[in-house]
Amino acid sequence: MNGIDFITLSVAGQIVAAFFGTVAFSILFGVPRRYYIHCGVCGMLGWTFYIVLFRYAGFSEAEATLCGTILVALLSRFMAVWFKCPTTVFLITGIFPMVPGGGIYWTIFYLVSGQLRHALSSGSTALMVTIAIVFGIILVNEIPGRFFKSLSVR
Amino acid sequence: MRLLMNEHDTQESKALAFAAEVGHLMLENGAEISRVEETMERIATCFGVDSKDFFVLSNGIFTTGRSYAKVLFIPFKGTQLQKVVEANRLSRDVAAGKLSLDQAQERLEEIRNMKGEKPAIQILASAVGSGCFCAIFGGSLMDCSAAFVIGMLLWAFVILAGRKNISKIFSNIAGAAIVTMLCILFCGIGFGHSISHVLVGSLIPLVPGVPFTNGIKDLANEDYIAGTTRLLDALLVFFCIAMGVSLVLITYSHITGGMISL
Repeated sequence: MNGIDFITLSVAGQIVAAFFGTVAFSILFGVPRRYYIHCGVCGMLGWTFYIVLFRYAGFSEAEATLCGTILVALLSRFMAVWFKCPTTVFLITGIFPMVPGGGIYWTIFYLVSGQLRHALSSGSTALMVTIAIVFGIILVNEIPGRFFKSLSVR
Repeated sequence: MRLLMNEHDTQESKALAFAAEVGHLMLENGAEISRVEETMERIATCFGVDSKDFFVLSNGIFTTGRSYAKVLFIPFKGTQLQKVVEANRLSRDVAAGKLSLDQAQERLEEIRNMKGEKPAIQILASAVGSGCFCAIFGGSLMDCSAAFVIGMLLWAFVILAGRKNISKIFSNIAGAAIVTMLCILFCGIGFGHSISHVLVGSLIPLVPGVPFTNGIKDLANEDYIAGTTRLLDALLVFFCIAMGVSLVLITYSHITGGMISL
């Protein structure tokens, strides 16, 4: 078996799992109770975007991660202005499903078991995904705050 | 040279000390550097301090004013994002002129004493998180149930290690090793089909999501020292987890005379 396959679970199941998974981690990170649902929605939308692009649009893992990250970062900045609350809260929890935790363990496993070729391929994928997250966050970070403020006049 | 501080200087020192305390609280609970600096600046300005300089690192804050200077060393404790949110709100209320310095000090004390969720709820959250991420990474229902139970046991261990003040490096290695052992055990007795899926799901609570994301944000804000320090911190935790996993896998393969098939 090579790497993780995303085939087992249907897209609907993925979306539900991403929502509850993100909510669970917002509890562990001590997010205020009133924002649990918001964090869950943020993580869910990001992961949905990612999985749809990855499965149906033929994007690579890194490309899909970049798009997912940009969506989450945009959402979190928008929510930050809307709820007058630091961006970090939504960003950290929303990004969480896409952090290549799995990829890194696979790399180590292949290294340990002497399958160097597999280690190289999953390691480079994990690195690309990480770089994609970095780029996504930095890109959205460069948008001036005025843009989000003007969108959320209420 | 003045030997006695006048009224204005005392007031200024109090305000700067308060700003430093707020910064301390935010930094140790996982706020970005730029946000800490901005909040301290805002508070000091609102209490009428005209000469002030702040220098914030990932584990320290330097505050100086005309008659005030302080260096705070702030080891990273753990993430309570609600404290960051509340400290941010406090600074906004101060900026709006709603609070006097003494009232603000009281509010800060309240925020500092805020408790996170109870251990039982944290353990449940870790279990749900593990189960859900196992599903996301392609596990079957049985795999998810196994990840659920292991995630629960893992967080019980993490809380215990936190209470005994065990070092971060050791608790991560041990946590990952325990998870791997339980995975092999559970799949061995038929509770869970594929070790790999159960393993990936139940290791997720250890992933250093906060320093990773914060490090990137700090780099994006051109706080290079804090950014690299935090990313290095995240990398170290990743290595510790990997070490714990591979330690068990290698030992297992020596005992059974072959690598386990995932």
